[in-house]
Amino acid sequence: MLAVNKISKTFKSGDGGIFNAVDNVSFKVKQGVFASIVGPSGSGKTTLLSLLGALDRPSSGSITVDGQDISKFNDHELTNYRARNVGLVFQSYNLIPNLTALENVMLPMEFVGLGKLTREQRARELLNQVGLSGDKQQRKPGKLSGGEQQRVAIARALANKPKIILADEPTGNLDSVNGKNIFNLLHELSKNQKTTVIVITHDISLAGKTDQRFSLTDGKLQKDKDLPRSFR
Amino acid sequence: MNVFSRGIRNAFRNQIRTIAVVGILSLSIGLSLAMLVAHKAVDQKINSVKASAGNTITIAPAGFSNFSQVNNALTTTLLSKVSQLAHVTSLTETLSDRLKTIGSVSASSFGANSTSSSNQTSLTSPVIINADSKRGLRAFTFGGLSGIPSNFSPPITITGTNDPYSLNSNNLSLSGGNFINGNLDNNQAMVSTSMASKNNLRVGSTFTAYNTTLTVTGIFLNNGNQSLGNNIIVSLPTEQSLSGQSGAVTSAIATVDSEDNLASVTTSVKNILGSNADVENAQNIANQTIQPLNSVSSVSMYSLIGAVVAGAVIILMIMIMITRERRREIGVLKAIGASNFKVVTQFVSEAVTFAVLAAVVGIIIGVAAASPITNTLIKNSSASSTSTNFSGGFRTATHFGGTNGPALLSGGRGLGKVRNEISNVKTEVGWSIIGYGFSAAIIIAVAGSSIAAWFIAKVRPAEVMRME
Ligand SMILES: Nc1ncnc2c1ncn2[C@@H]1O[C@H](COP(=O)(O)OP(=O)(O)OP(=O)(O)O)[C@@H](O)[C@H]1O
Ligand SMILES: [Mg+2]
Repeated sequence: MLAVNKISKTFKSGDGGIFNAVDNVSFKVKQGVFASIVGPSGSGKTTLLSLLGALDRPSSGSITVDGQDISKFNDHELTNYRARNVGLVFQSYNLIPNLTALENVMLPMEFVGLGKLTREQRARELLNQVGLSGDKQQRKPGKLSGGEQQRVAIARALANKPKIILADEPTGNLDSVNGKNIFNLLHELSKNQKTTVIVITHDISLAGKTDQRFSLTDGKLQKDKDLPRSFR
Repeated sequence: MNVFSRGIRNAFRNQIRTIAVVGILSLSIGLSLAMLVAHKAVDQKINSVKASAGNTITIAPAGFSNFSQVNNALTTTLLSKVSQLAHVTSLTETLSDRLKTIGSVSASSFGANSTSSSNQTSLTSPVIINADSKRGLRAFTFGGLSGIPSNFSPPITITGTNDPYSLNSNNLSLSGGNFINGNLDNNQAMVSTSMASKNNLRVGSTFTAYNTTLTVTGIFLNNGNQSLGNNIIVSLPTEQSLSGQSGAVTSAIATVDSEDNLASVTTSVKNILGSNADVENAQNIANQTIQPLNSVSSVSMYSLIGAVVAGAVIILMIMIMITRERRREIGVLKAIGASNFKVVTQFVSEAVTFAVLAAVVGIIIGVAAASPITNTLIKNSSASSTSTNFSGGFRTATHFGGTNGPALLSGGRGLGKVRNEISNVKTEVGWSIIGYGFSAAIIIAVAGSSIAAWFIAKVRPAEVMRME
């Protein structure tokens, strides 16, 4: 269970004032739910996601994951939490260019101290699972298509069996067919592995397929009337 | 794959840059090693010069220059006060003269202490005049002669000493016979092996000097040393009476019990002898002698530090460049769970890889350059100092060719050697250099990564979400 309670993130604006990129947001997401965040550009979606992913601390409010308040963590604890509990997927993949697909997937496992053989075996399984097999696993990102790179990124996000996967516009750089495939892959993961997946998207039709939907405007969460009752 | 192997692999991500960095860095490491070698060699020499200088005080008649008879104020009587000073353990007194071979043209006209016709010997000098020493002689243009006459024979040095066991800086050992007694006026003499074989002398043979018959009681080894070989050694009283200079002494060397007392005894000696004598202690002379080496030592030290700093700055710049360029990658590593420490370690490994590669090349450069650089430094600094420090008598003495200069000019035991040695510094390139090379590389790499590390720590993981 992910519980967000009245979190705000404040930035200093250029003219010396302050403004809330995320403004008093509260919601709850149950484990294994496939959720989406929608909203206009600049509404604070990415900022919210980085708070959920422990990449940054909220200015106020709390975020509890299975009863643990991650907003109170120090830097070291945040790093540790990220390594074990969060998987990140970016719009522009963000793979390490001079490592092969396999090595990219092995990387997060190194940070939690898994042995080399275990890492390699699990990385292969994950790549097979996301549909990247054979010699493509030995290729560097520069020699893979965007869709393939995003599959590698998803495999990397899954590496340490995180509780939550956060994806910021994961289909943004892909054509609609590829985008749909990636989206379906994430959907399956949440169902098969009981992983919570939160996706930022501009695609309303994709957002419509998610279990739970949050809409942000000017950093504030909107009540979404379209949501099924059970998720309200 | 771990942080280290990723760091090493990253060092080769941009091959042209790698080659450039390693090239420049290896020059800096090579230069620092060469400077280190020079510094060590020179320091070693300075220490050995200081150590070999000994605790001696050299006493010469004031204004004494070569064999001029200007001032013979130094006498056995006067010097006996010096030998009675506290802390003076021994006093060696010598009286030197030059003898002309009977029937030859000699250089006595410009060198000898007394020019009387008795100032002759039946012996012939074993010195072989080579082209260089002929030039040296001609430079003095004695008696309007230009060129060397066919019956020319170099003058022979006769030294009366109360310490026949050593001469100048040379401790003597005999190939036959016995040492003479330095205190008896008994017309006994020691000659060198070269002198003996040139003149068919053996123990018990006689020869004449100052129209007097002397008996050979000992033959000392000169081991091919021409100037040492050109000596007849007699007791001090013998030489004083033969040359008709009763009680005279041309140089004396007092030995002091410890280096700590050297300065105070030197002052006491100056007080006793006053204006009659030039008094100089060995440590002072040694210090003057090593002056040029001191400057080489500090120049090489500054260059060493400079080269290491330059290396660190090169790594610093390149690491700043690399971390800026890979800012996004640093953000990604942090976002997916790498600690600051791990990311920093990865980049330091990269820097160390550059530095170690550079060290390998640098060690080769350093080993090759060490000796020429040291020699150049010493040549330049001692060339400028010979004219200031070793003026007058010393130059004359060194240019004199094969013949022996008077004992005085060697400035005390050991110093004659010392002066030649400062141009003879030996560089030693040992295994330790490889150790220093790699240590320097690691220090350069770690110091050079410092700003990069700070930069890495500053990258916030949240940034990566916006670096699209
Ligand atoms: N580090 C920061 N300092 C100051 N302002 C920031 C910072 N990060 C984000 N902002 C501001 O916060 C607001 C929300 O930004 P955010 O990136 O969360 O929007 P978004 O909803 O993800 O937009 P988009 O759909 O275009 O990606 C923006 O006005 C942005 O300029
Ligand atoms: Mg965004």
